[in-house]
Amino acid sequence: MNPLIAEIPGVIPWIALPFFIGFSINLFPKLSRLLAVVVALSSMIYGAVQLLRPLPQTLELLDHFGVTLQIDGLSGALILTNGIVTLAVLLYCWQTGKSTFFYTQLVILHGSVNAVFVCADFISLYVAVEVIGIAAFLLMTYTRSDRVLWVGLRYLFVSNTAMLFYLVGALLVYQSQHSFAFAGLGAAPPEAIALIILGLLTKGGVFISGLWLPLTHSEADTPVSALLSGVVIKAGIFPLVRCALIVPEVGEILALLGMATALLGVVYAIWETDTKRLLALSSVSQVGFMLVAPPIAGFYALAHGCSKAALFLISGNLPSREFAQLAKVPIPPVLRGGMAIAALSIAGLPGLGGFAAKALAVKDLLPWQATVLNIAAVGTAIAMAKFILIPFPSTPAPPPTQGLSLALLLLVGAIFAANGLGPTAYTVANALKALGIIALGGLIYGFILQRWSIKLPRGGERLEHLIGMMTLMLTALFWMVVT
Amino acid sequence: MSILEAYIFGTLLIGFFGIIFKKNLMMKIIAMDVMSTGVIAYYVLIAARGGFYTPIAAGATPGPYADPVPQAVILTAIVIGFSIQALMLVGVMKLARNNPTLETDQIETNNTP
Repeated sequence: MNPLIAEIPGVIPWIALPFFIGFSINLFPKLSRLLAVVVALSSMIYGAVQLLRPLPQTLELLDHFGVTLQIDGLSGALILTNGIVTLAVLLYCWQTGKSTFFYTQLVILHGSVNAVFVCADFISLYVAVEVIGIAAFLLMTYTRSDRVLWVGLRYLFVSNTAMLFYLVGALLVYQSQHSFAFAGLGAAPPEAIALIILGLLTKGGVFISGLWLPLTHSEADTPVSALLSGVVIKAGIFPLVRCALIVPEVGEILALLGMATALLGVVYAIWETDTKRLLALSSVSQVGFMLVAPPIAGFYALAHGCSKAALFLISGNLPSREFAQLAKVPIPPVLRGGMAIAALSIAGLPGLGGFAAKALAVKDLLPWQATVLNIAAVGTAIAMAKFILIPFPSTPAPPPTQGLSLALLLLVGAIFAANGLGPTAYTVANALKALGIIALGGLIYGFILQRWSIKLPRGGERLEHLIGMMTLMLTALFWMVVT
Repeated sequence: MSILEAYIFGTLLIGFFGIIFKKNLMMKIIAMDVMSTGVIAYYVLIAARGGFYTPIAAGATPGPYADPVPQAVILTAIVIGFSIQALMLVGVMKLARNNPTLETDQIETNNTP
């Protein structure tokens, strides 16, 4: 036996568990939900344990050619997020009579997302990301209508083309370093860095490479959109963050792109009239905060993942997806409360997880970077105000299903508990600033934007343009790496 | 060697532009396969840079050997590419029922809200 395996106890069985259970679920259709819950709980426990462990641990299988795994607090937070969001989705689906096939794909998706969060070499990452693509496609197209089939095919086209560029980049890294480990990226040629970043940016839905995301996340089924926006996009962001921590030059490029996507996402989001599209666009903006502040990315992903999953689950159960319609129909108080808490957490209200994450993310930045992010934060507050300020009609509403209430209880609990990870964020100045940003956002929405609507062009979301924009992005990235 | 590399990049680009410019959904998928053929060939080419012989430790080595790592890696990628393509073709079969011409523009306008 390789003595190195002892360094991370339990990692191999834990990674293998979801795949083992995922494929054996088909043999025990009656137990499918229960087995899936076991997988989600095991990830929550494993993630929480890793989160409390102070030092990063590395595992190399078969010399430097082979698989490299690395677990630290960052992976711990993301694994925990994956566990919580999956469990919430399972609770939500408990009574909906989904088939065993659905749970198989759900567990395999969960397992491959976990694999991304521990791997530290480009090839294991490639395999895990492609498995995510396949499982996500099968979940997205679960309802089999023409529209979801088209959206799923479009997703596979975009992600597979991006991953082909990524493979070329990975080969160039190998050619210069004789190893696929992330650590080799620093000494790799600029074209390799540009190709790899392009692939991961597209997977993570960042800036113009992420324009495929609004349609995909909004057209998928409610629990699937919650998973996609809650954890699956982080599978593209996490390797970028890890590379940024290992190689500082890459970090500088990603910080620039992070600010660009934070602004692009909110500019689109504040004019959006469809709830699910607004949430997806807000995800495009929120990943920017993670890229700008790599050390806080894990915590930020935890706060954002729980809030976004809650918002997606709620908006899938509202009577309409149009904000204009929502003002006229009754909304159950439980949903209204959950929506307000989750939206305020994303906007950064003190007392909720999103505040601590946002305050810590902005803390260590250069002044101009902090200014850009604060502008993006005001935009986020405006977008979230749309959810909070839906008018109350007087008629009573039917209560939500039990599964949805339980899922919301779990997610809202996680949003509050996430505060425990960032107690240093609680200073008077930070709290006042956050309140100021939310008040400003609310006022701008209430007095100006509510009466004004613009339809932004969606041409960039066509398939040909999404693929074509990869060349532009690649050129820009190459230029950024060289200079 | 550099001629071969040029051919490989040519294949990659033809595939990539095929994905953009071909109108038929089926042709787009085939173009994606052409692009991935280019990537696979590139891996094989880089692996053969050092030499062509199989690296088996059996007595005297006949000469400089090919690097087995990129080849092993690309085998995985070939399998993944194949399964994704199979999945896309099933999707296209389903779509073809209501869109027999498989014109991408048509499908896109029909299925975008």
